[in-house]
Amino acid sequence: MKRIYNILLAAAIILPSSVLLNSCDEFTPVFTGKYPEPESWEPVTMEVTHTIQELAAMYTPGQEFEIEDDIVIAGKVSTSDQAGNFYRSLYIQDETGGIELKMGKTGLYNEYKPGQTVYVSCKGLWLGMYGYDEDDRYGGSGMVQLGYEDPTGEYETSYIEVQYLIDSHIYRGEEGDPIEPVVITESDLPGQWDTQATNKYVGTLVTLQNLTYGNEIFTLLYVNPNLEHKASSNRVFLSDETHNVTTWAMSEQKVKEHLENGDWDDVNVGNANDYTHGTVGDPENKANLLRYATPANVSQYFYMGDRDIQIRTSGYCRFADLEIDPAVLSGEKTINATGILTMYQGSVQFILLDQNGIVVNE
Amino acid sequence: MNRKLLSIILIAIFALSYIAGAQSQDRQKTYGGRIEYYVNPVTGDRGGVEGSVVNRTGRVPIPDAVLELFLGDKLVAKGNSDENGYFLFSEIDNGDYRLVVSAPGFSSSEVNVKVEGFIKDLIFVSLLSSDIVNTNFDESNFMEFDMDDSGYSDTPSLLYGNDVYSNIAGYGFSAIRFKNRGYSSESQDVYLSGVRMNDAITGYTPWSLWSGLNEAMRSKETSMGTETYDYGFGGYNGVTNILATPSSVRKGWRFSLLTNSALYRLRFMASYASGELDNGWSYAFNVSARLGGNDWVKGVYYRSFAYYAGVEKKFGDIHRLSLVAFASPTNRGAQNASTQEVYDLVGDNMYNSNWGYQDGKLRNARVRKTHEPVFILKYTATPLDNLEATATVTYRTGKNGYTALDWYDTYDPRPDYYRNLPSYFWMEDKDYGRTSYDKYAWAQEAWLTNYNNTQHINWDRLYNVNIHNTDEEGLGRSKYIIEERRTDQNDININGNVKWRANDWFTLTGGLNWRWNKTEYYKIADDLLGGDYYINIDQFAERDFASDPAMIQNDLDYYLSNGSAQRLSAGDKYGYDYFANVRDAEIWANASFEKGHFRGYAAIEGGYSKFWRDGVYRKGLFAGLDENGQEIKSPVTGNILTSYDKDGNVITSKGRSDVADFFTYSAKIGASWFFTGGHRIYANAAYMNDAPTFNQSFISPRTRNTLVPNLTTTKTVSADINYTYSNNGYDFRLTGFWTKIMDQTDMMSFYDDSQNSFTNFAMTGIDQRHMGIELGFEIPLYLQNVFLQGVLSWGEYIYTSTPYMTQTIDNSAEVIIDNQPVTYWKSHPIYKKTTVDGVVTYDRDASGNYILDKEQKHYVPSTPQLAADLGIRYRSNSYWFVELNGQFFANSYLDMNPLYRTMTAVAGPDNAMTDAALEEHSRNWFLNSTIQDDMGLSPQEIEYMAAQEKFDPVFLLNASVGKSWYIDRKYNFGFSLEVKNILNNRGVKTGGYEQTRLIDSESKTRYYRFDPKYFYMSGVNYMLNLYFRF
Repeated sequence: MKRIYNILLAAAIILPSSVLLNSCDEFTPVFTGKYPEPESWEPVTMEVTHTIQELAAMYTPGQEFEIEDDIVIAGKVSTSDQAGNFYRSLYIQDETGGIELKMGKTGLYNEYKPGQTVYVSCKGLWLGMYGYDEDDRYGGSGMVQLGYEDPTGEYETSYIEVQYLIDSHIYRGEEGDPIEPVVITESDLPGQWDTQATNKYVGTLVTLQNLTYGNEIFTLLYVNPNLEHKASSNRVFLSDETHNVTTWAMSEQKVKEHLENGDWDDVNVGNANDYTHGTVGDPENKANLLRYATPANVSQYFYMGDRDIQIRTSGYCRFADLEIDPAVLSGEKTINATGILTMYQGSVQFILLDQNGIVVNE
Repeated sequence: MNRKLLSIILIAIFALSYIAGAQSQDRQKTYGGRIEYYVNPVTGDRGGVEGSVVNRTGRVPIPDAVLELFLGDKLVAKGNSDENGYFLFSEIDNGDYRLVVSAPGFSSSEVNVKVEGFIKDLIFVSLLSSDIVNTNFDESNFMEFDMDDSGYSDTPSLLYGNDVYSNIAGYGFSAIRFKNRGYSSESQDVYLSGVRMNDAITGYTPWSLWSGLNEAMRSKETSMGTETYDYGFGGYNGVTNILATPSSVRKGWRFSLLTNSALYRLRFMASYASGELDNGWSYAFNVSARLGGNDWVKGVYYRSFAYYAGVEKKFGDIHRLSLVAFASPTNRGAQNASTQEVYDLVGDNMYNSNWGYQDGKLRNARVRKTHEPVFILKYTATPLDNLEATATVTYRTGKNGYTALDWYDTYDPRPDYYRNLPSYFWMEDKDYGRTSYDKYAWAQEAWLTNYNNTQHINWDRLYNVNIHNTDEEGLGRSKYIIEERRTDQNDININGNVKWRANDWFTLTGGLNWRWNKTEYYKIADDLLGGDYYINIDQFAERDFASDPAMIQNDLDYYLSNGSAQRLSAGDKYGYDYFANVRDAEIWANASFEKGHFRGYAAIEGGYSKFWRDGVYRKGLFAGLDENGQEIKSPVTGNILTSYDKDGNVITSKGRSDVADFFTYSAKIGASWFFTGGHRIYANAAYMNDAPTFNQSFISPRTRNTLVPNLTTTKTVSADINYTYSNNGYDFRLTGFWTKIMDQTDMMSFYDDSQNSFTNFAMTGIDQRHMGIELGFEIPLYLQNVFLQGVLSWGEYIYTSTPYMTQTIDNSAEVIIDNQPVTYWKSHPIYKKTTVDGVVTYDRDASGNYILDKEQKHYVPSTPQLAADLGIRYRSNSYWFVELNGQFFANSYLDMNPLYRTMTAVAGPDNAMTDAALEEHSRNWFLNSTIQDDMGLSPQEIEYMAAQEKFDPVFLLNASVGKSWYIDRKYNFGFSLEVKNILNNRGVKTGGYEQTRLIDSESKTRYYRFDPKYFYMSGVNYMLNLYFRF
């Protein structure tokens, strides 16, 4: 009897205490309820092998490829996705030019701050171009980008997207002051076939001065975005004039407002020269457009001297519905614009970081 | 004066004792029972024991109770009580005896008696009706499932009872999360000290309020199904009343130490109860601590304590007053569900995505933090032998919090977020548009190798984002925080009951109850994770209304008076803040009849219930009108912020909502026949009417005052018929039941990252039908003390209606789906098909119509509809017990989300069903090529999207062993060891849910589902309990 008693007593003491000792980890919250504060991350430095221009020069239009050499580039972050006009990607630039990293994640500005140095170990990433059109009259260069393979072939590169790939290719260096934009003149603007390899301002943060309004927009709406985007019957082009669009882009509410006001009732549904789908004002089209309205990207056209500058803004960005100063729209005043200088099919597309990129000249 | 008083008292005492003595002698002379002695008394010191066996409630004599008198383990004498309940053992030696009293329909009881040369009068030996159960079964046996903003709820429904069925099904089926008869938690009435304690806002069972207080809450009375009950009308899913009064706590000191491998590491518990002292006082206390994690689910831990103290005083024979206070202050880490893809990547079905390492220490983001004290003041009067009246007041208060990660304009920190998974990058079916096998392989590699802690929350990273997000002033604006969602209740119940035994054959019970509940719902910024502040804005609104800062305010009044949104420090309220107000009243009466072998009852109840929301915050999106009834304008843009619904009514967020109120009425009837030889047949029937609860009744309670349209009461019709046999150690029950529940309302609210907002589905008109059988048996085998026992619960619990659904999102006044039918909720059609070389073609008749093969019913989910248990039990005279049992569960289904059963989801983006076609299709599942080609609805789509997942059948093996020792007849020491799931079956799904979202297809003609998320049962696990009592 007594022996059993002793055994049980011993068990009662040994068992719980051994359990306690063997599994301290799980008792951390039990005993303290507090957790140690982690230390700040350490910035990385790496040996740079190529400039951005050198990297861009490795690309031949229409021939995207996987980088197989140990190439490391570095640059400072020039964009921020905070305002939403850049989405899932960021630009870095060095003295020779700028390039887009197709990261594929949102909220990038939280970890890649404007002015912060970023190192890219390019081996395994893909170099390709977006917005290239070989047509000599209407086409031209797009932008050389760093991304990943796009097996669908729809684009030359896809977003890097996988955290593992990001962590093993994109390294965060020292934070620094945001980049000062370079003021460039009309003659500095890239030509139809210019790329980062041939014009050092392409893909970098610049300021364009004294732009006058061009009284023209370009935007593409879908009657039902859930259906095939390429179908002519599903597309509405607003182009060649202003179509009463006086904002930098259009949120969903703004699109609906224009539809309800009948601003686009006379616009044809369908690709150019395809007049078989009626107009926006037709009740069925109108009902669908209203029901499935989504934010719309808008290119507002400006002139810099003789050159067309499309200021392209996302319908999802925070200043989408910001009204352009009426005095600018009427041509009385000009603007200075600060943003990333990009190319799309040989034309200059200018992308604002945020609404502070627009200054109206008195 | 004093002397006079004293003498009166003395005279009275003498007189009384004389009368008592005389009575006693009379009783002894007329004792009609029989006693058999097994030991010849030694001449010399001799004495005896006498007393009356009575029912503890009402002191009704119990005739024919069996009395066994032991000296040590040796049976000395055995007898039975006479028709007045009286018994007498007159010829026994002096010594310390143990008297074991048992009677059919009552729990047996043990009394220690010291015989010292005379006949000791025990006066009353009271037995508890066997409706009262003692159990070790604790709600904390349930690991809390974290439903993670999925819109589904998870509340345990526990079955208590002391009949041959519920004894086994109750505890034995809890690990699989068995719901008796398929009923939901809300349908089970849980009373505490005679007062219904189900949550006033949700109706859920309130077990967690007293978890860890097993000793104090051990004594319970239960009824099954629709049976009525002494303290209340009850529902259709039984009543459990926890006595909780100090006099009901087992007498003496009790200590226990418990360790187990599936929940928490350690439990310490101590309790003491005085029993009723000579001076009429009784008091009791119970404390416990449950600490640590477990072997199966990482991140789940307990830091739970519990305390109970009660005092009770009996004043004379008439009055009894008790006061009890208890609470269970608890922190417990929660377990999350993941998709099978994640479980397979990690190689563990018990993987929990809620935790990660912070500076090397394991931290869970989802922690339940509660401290809700409950106070009970109870007065009982028995002014007459046949009349008992009670009045009870309960008060519940305190805090109930649940933490979660919140983040602002940055990436989703959850490790198993779908965009982090391999399947997001590549799927075999090209129509998914997920085409990069390379990325799939990289993501898979990261998961398999746990690269950079891919499998867990990366706390270090979250802290770093916060620390480095400095503003102009050099302060860190947190992008990630831990929020605590609070549900702080103040709940008062005032309750009165009367039980009047008018005569031998008629008893009337009745009562009334009034409930007042005011519950505040709000969030606090619990931990800023290294940052300095957070900002009180609606980030979900920000995406859509970024151009107007007034519209994205959670607290517009603060913004208007301060010019900016509030900067939050740790501990500040934010997000939402509103009160739920509930007022309930019920009155009920139950007449029961008893004549010979017949018993019957009829009961009615009437009730009134009302509730409303009272918003503290004025939200920018639903600003409503100002104090003067004027529209409110944005100070920045000048836009009118006041918004209106489709009927032109102002949508408000601040102040009182409309009051929803309901009258309810219910009735029950039942009858029972006893036959000689231990047979009994009984039947019950009920019609019930229940008001919807607050949490089901607002379309978006976090943001606005709008009620769900067409709210109505739930109607239930229920009936059962039962046969029991109890004799010579045989015990048997067979029950058949049928229940139809109509017009239920359900509200699901979940985070939808495609809308970047909380989305709300309000469903109305949900009907269910539950029918089935229950069987329980216990058979003594030829070997002494060995019993064969088993239960079977086999039913069909199905949906029987087409409900209507309204969908809204928190960040918009827009109604996304406006009262549309959920076409495939109750069933979906399966059409005839031919498969040739793996290619499926659907057959058509001569007119080109698809041919209906069968209609697939949809089932009430999250419980096996077939559950069986067969066991063998041995209990020795020397207090050993061994038990081994096998269990089989089948026909368990996954919870359905209504979206997948709508025409919108089934037919896909090309859905063009006309009202006429929908009508024709819904009537008899008519489908032809016109519908398929022109309206986008195909047989494949229906079978894919509307189908409900059925879980695989499960076989489990469990065993337990225990022994207790008595030392000096005073100290009791023992252990019990239970091993569950001995076969270590690690593929047992216990529940889960479907994600409420759709994947677009490349073809743009259909949608695909997201993978469902599951919870699994632990593999082999043990529970060892050591106890010491005196």
